[in-house]
Amino acid sequence: MWRLNKVRHKAGRQADSLEELRLKRRQQEKDLRQARRDRQLVSKRLLLNEDEDQSEVTMDADSGAQHVVTLFHKLQHSGPEKEVHLKALSKALRDPSAQLTFIKQENSMHLLVGLLTGSNATCRLQAVRCLHELSHSPHTNIAPACLPATPYLLTYLSNQSTKFTELCLYTLGNLCPESDVVQEKLLAQGIIPALANCIENQRHNLAVVEAAGFTLSQLLQAKDGGGKIIPMVLASSLPSHLLSVLTPDQNFGLAPAIECAWCLHYLTCSMQDNRVLLAHGALSRCSSTLMSLGGAVAEGNKEEGMELLICPLLRCVGNLLSSCPVEDLSSQVADVSIVVTLCALLQAYMQTQTALARESAWVLNNLTAHSSAFCSALLTFNLVPGLIQLLPFSQGINIMILRVLANIAHKKKEYCVQLTHTGLLSGLCATLKMADKDIVTLSMDVLFMLVVSSPQVAEEFVRHGGLSLLETLQYNREGDIRRRASYLLENHLLPYSS
Amino acid sequence: MLQPETARLLTEGQMLVKSSDVGNTQEEPGLSEAEEGNPFNFTPQLLRLHRDHQLFEDGDIHRHMYLQDLYVSETDDKTTLSVSEFACHISGCSAVFSTLEEYEHHYNSLHRHVCCSCRRSLPSARLLDIHIQEWHDSLFTILAQRQDMYQCLVEGCGQKFRTSQHRKQHLIKVHKYPPDFRFDKTKKDRGETKRPQQKDTSMEVAESVCESEGVCEVMCDVLSDQPEHGESMETHVSEEEAARTATSAITEDHANLSAAAHSAENTSSQPLKPQYSYRVPTNVCFGHGSVRGFRGRRGRRK
Repeated sequence: MWRLNKVRHKAGRQADSLEELRLKRRQQEKDLRQARRDRQLVSKRLLLNEDEDQSEVTMDADSGAQHVVTLFHKLQHSGPEKEVHLKALSKALRDPSAQLTFIKQENSMHLLVGLLTGSNATCRLQAVRCLHELSHSPHTNIAPACLPATPYLLTYLSNQSTKFTELCLYTLGNLCPESDVVQEKLLAQGIIPALANCIENQRHNLAVVEAAGFTLSQLLQAKDGGGKIIPMVLASSLPSHLLSVLTPDQNFGLAPAIECAWCLHYLTCSMQDNRVLLAHGALSRCSSTLMSLGGAVAEGNKEEGMELLICPLLRCVGNLLSSCPVEDLSSQVADVSIVVTLCALLQAYMQTQTALARESAWVLNNLTAHSSAFCSALLTFNLVPGLIQLLPFSQGINIMILRVLANIAHKKKEYCVQLTHTGLLSGLCATLKMADKDIVTLSMDVLFMLVVSSPQVAEEFVRHGGLSLLETLQYNREGDIRRRASYLLENHLLPYSS
Repeated sequence: MLQPETARLLTEGQMLVKSSDVGNTQEEPGLSEAEEGNPFNFTPQLLRLHRDHQLFEDGDIHRHMYLQDLYVSETDDKTTLSVSEFACHISGCSAVFSTLEEYEHHYNSLHRHVCCSCRRSLPSARLLDIHIQEWHDSLFTILAQRQDMYQCLVEGCGQKFRTSQHRKQHLIKVHKYPPDFRFDKTKKDRGETKRPQQKDTSMEVAESVCESEGVCEVMCDVLSDQPEHGESMETHVSEEEAARTATSAITEDHANLSAAAHSAENTSSQPLKPQYSYRVPTNVCFGHGSVRGFRGRRGRRK
């Protein structure tokens, strides 16, 4: 992936020690988390030239700003040296204060747009590069200043020059999340059909597809709550294009699939009805892609960055499942061995990406909630012991796994007996002693279903020391738990109490 | 047990929970509409997660780190897994443990053999039996006036004595026990202060806490609202008072009858060697761990 290579390259060259890098990254992660809590999580991308490095030392701020003014004047007056000046300008505009200075110059945007739409192709490229640098600015008043350029950027999306199209796309993508005003304008100017056409016509050009996917994902994250944007996207041809990109390309890598998968996630997790996506076969497509990726992971073939694709796919499958009627489930998710994939992902990512493990468990819950077929598959493929081994782990893991087990137990008494054979009772005897009251309550619910399923199970529970455990639970500080314990003892375990 | 068809929003993190009405088959173990008072109400639920849900946080951060060129391959940053803690369930005891073994040890030491009447924690089933018998059994008191009822505390010895003093002497002389053995206190004059706050405890556990800080401390320690009497003060509960105690105990028992199976056994005097599960009358709580016990220990030996 082009991004990853750049990062590694950068890390090697810089004087910063590994530890400093780690600290810096941790701080940035903290900032991102805070931004997410504030619902302000927005990222921009900067497309670098092949020969450059983002950390290249530029001039200091003051001279940078002055330099920009000088260049601007030169551009207003010069003839054939325009290309040179423009290139210098694009480099100078890397600096945030220079960006501000440039915008403040009267008619600066007008000039840039003129060069963008002029007859000199090289100037067009350099002009769009300037705009791209501006779009990446941390200052919030820069994006609205770039609006005059957007209709042209959109028009140029059907252009055939890869670099140029990429720059247009990433510029638009950076501008999207800025403000409602910007989004309104872009929608009115037809960004959605433009993106649809772009992906469709340049399907073979994966760099462009990646860029278009990124831009769409930026648009979809807009805070209008899916009011206008998402219905428009669903009504366009974009969903089917996005789905077609999901299979990663051997040579190019995961990046286009990653962008498109995230777009699909933003679509599926919105409050909109998912029927349109289901009709496009989204559930089927996402689950089969997930299975092939999961297969690779299970074999130990963890390509770098794979979790960046697995994560949105899991989410799509999870949310689509919650919209899919039970009758249609078997046609949408044809292969029940997806449960094997999910358990493999759970195990593989427990240590390294616990969030992914958690999301896999969530998908398992949605699969098993109303379908006996998937519950039965978990038993048939002997996946339950592996799940039981994960019961000690908190932060959403054990509670979700207990839900899955409860889903299975809820279906049939036979399943309860089978569950007991996997050693679930001793797992429950441990979870019943945990501090978290939700875990204890859910464990009791599972226990109840197991115990009432057959006298053998009740006997085995008693052999595990269950009676004294329940007697203890009768004195728990939570009423819900006390009532459950008493109920079980009084109604179902009487023959066993001495 | 009705579940609404429509999705309902949960308070935590904008999660839509859609519990569609599952067709109840005969086999369904979760079926419980027919049974009254069944508190079990699990139903499988589809969980639909909104974009800003807590569950999605880590994945979102990872995605944005990648966009901002901060991506690291997983080998660089190993996260430590978080394991669920265990906690003592007993109301009032707030002990928390990181392993199951620690929990079991705590429970076995402090809560297993607890007298429900006075909430003292005894170290073994046998000593608990003896305690209950000698302190809370009115029949014992009556019989003790005519025969040797005080058992030797040493298992296997089998001797019995007319008074607790005699037993104590026996323990010191024959079994070389220390004179201040903690599990051989005489019964204090409890009077009206016995069994505080029992009335409302059918299955609700009383709010007050009692001492069960250390295994050996409990027996000699009294609840804070009772003065500690010297050991020499032999308190014989008079027959009258014993009868009064017994009747009030019985009425309380009846009044607080819950549906527990073993309540029937406790209406009259307890058998001398009761089974463990009968040792816990229905209306009373188990031993409590005092919060004080985990802070200032009041300078007592452990």
